Amino acid sequence: MNSKGPPAPLECTEIILESISDGVFTVDLHWRITSFNRAAEEITGISRHEAIGRYCWEVFRSNMCEGDCALRRTMEVGKSFVSSATSIITSNKKQIPITVSTSLLKDGSGEILGGVEVFRDMSLIEELRRDLRSSFLFSDMISRSPAMLELFGMLDQIAQSDSTVLIEGETGTGKELLSRAIHNLSPRQDQPFIAINCGALPDTLLESELFGYKAGAFTDARSDRQGLFSAAEKGTILLDEIGDTSPAFQVRLLRVLEDHTFQPLGSTVPIKTNARLIAATNRDLHGLVETNQFRRDLFYRINIIALRLPPLRDRMEDIPLLVDRFIAKLNRRKKKLISGIDEQALDLLLQHDFPGNIRELENIIEHAFVLCPEGPITPRHLPAFLNLPIQKLRSPAPIDKTVADSERDAILKALHNNHNNRTAAAMQLGLHKSTLFRKVKKLGISLPEQDGRSTRS
Amino acid sequence: MKVAMTVWGNRVSPVFDSAQTILLAEIKDSTVTWEQREFIAGQIPTRLARMLVDRGIDTLICGAISEQPASIIEAAGIKLVSFVSGNAAHLLEACARGISTDHFKMPGCKIPCCRQQWQQQTLDPQRRPDENGG
Repeated sequence: MNSKGPPAPLECTEIILESISDGVFTVDLHWRITSFNRAAEEITGISRHEAIGRYCWEVFRSNMCEGDCALRRTMEVGKSFVSSATSIITSNKKQIPITVSTSLLKDGSGEILGGVEVFRDMSLIEELRRDLRSSFLFSDMISRSPAMLELFGMLDQIAQSDSTVLIEGETGTGKELLSRAIHNLSPRQDQPFIAINCGALPDTLLESELFGYKAGAFTDARSDRQGLFSAAEKGTILLDEIGDTSPAFQVRLLRVLEDHTFQPLGSTVPIKTNARLIAATNRDLHGLVETNQFRRDLFYRINIIALRLPPLRDRMEDIPLLVDRFIAKLNRRKKKLISGIDEQALDLLLQHDFPGNIRELENIIEHAFVLCPEGPITPRHLPAFLNLPIQKLRSPAPIDKTVADSERDAILKALHNNHNNRTAAAMQLGLHKSTLFRKVKKLGISLPEQDGRSTRS
Repeated sequence: MKVAMTVWGNRVSPVFDSAQTILLAEIKDSTVTWEQREFIAGQIPTRLARMLVDRGIDTLICGAISEQPASIIEAAGIKLVSFVSGNAAHLLEACARGISTDHFKMPGCKIPCCRQQWQQQTLDPQRRPDENGG
């Protein structure tokens, strides 16, 4: 049996510090590390032998150290900070997400000795979050909407085939992303992926871009130039906004699709192409065919596999996922640590109908990144046009609810007073019977199956 | 030789990924002949790498750096000397004179922090990097 008594308080503290899974270190007033617990060694990969005596920023190496050190703030204002999110970099260049809490270190007489920093490794939680997200992730696209999940389910087979694909969808729905996903899943993934916006170029330029030209084909053609079809080799070419091309260009494209050959401008020799073609449009190609603005034969040539990307307003359930994704992306790109979006701001996004689709949402989040220095994105960081509905929504909602509740009470009371006789209840309320039925339906009141008249008779 | 170093006041910036200032310097005949500081906060690594290449920088010296920016810098053809700390002027001088930078290694750095072998001599053991670093 141990004859010694319970450990002294100082010993106790040491035992506790060594047994917890949070990293803890202390610094003196000159920012040199004075203690470094076991978990701190494990998380940072630095032994306490190496850490003690060194400046905390040389050991801790967090993104906060230089600009916004929580421990420095604590030492300056004498206040503790709890759970600030940041990341540290280990010696093998791995970034570890952590949360940090800081407080002052004082002796028994209240004199400040330095600071203490407690940090928690969030890698596992981040990994679980990523796993959860990846179940809705396909290539670079993310969605939990049934229509998109159905699309994801087909993509692998579509990618394996060589057929021409037509992608239809409003602007900003991710047509290029989908094309890239098809290319990346296909056996052509090691070959080039080339996207060109057909609507942005006049015919002659578009043709010289796609098919190339020979020296002397036109005034400024001083040497041969390879076109995108040649550059793509056995890769994939995305012809975006194909609905905006001229009939003359459509004829040339039809020939490429039919013969798998093209002729550079100024050349008489056809060149074989093995590139796969994906066409995309934000217009109703079928409608354009009906009004003779798009060649019917070309339409049938490209409409072999047609995929329709739903607009964002039809997949609003994806907004939280997309917002998280854009925040993570912009945090990396802008070196910020925005923690997320608060409920009110998310509500505002969910009320918007996004005519610009996902691109518009991404731009809104980028706007918020400019205005939001840290923490979550709140309504005041969002563009002004999104904040307009706040007044409209906040004040009428309670009044509407109050009116609805009063109407429901009055109807139920009238029905009760008249033994569920609908006609009598309507008369008592001063309403026509059909108005009563309309209100009953609107308010979701369930009426007893038997009308009061039948029970009384 | 032109060298860039992410700095924080008179020290090497502890983390390249969140560094706000870069020091550009030219070394001729073992002497630093030109120096200039630039604000780089918020600049994405690809743009920064392009800027360094445009300025003819051969070597980037920095503190801790994560995988992604490190690979971007190296892919741009810039030699990376990472996970160093201490007084920026002393480190630059050590680079200029071609002497060992081992004393500037960050703790926990198992591999030699300099990819480029500058050293044949050793830095004066009396002059520790922390001497003027605080």
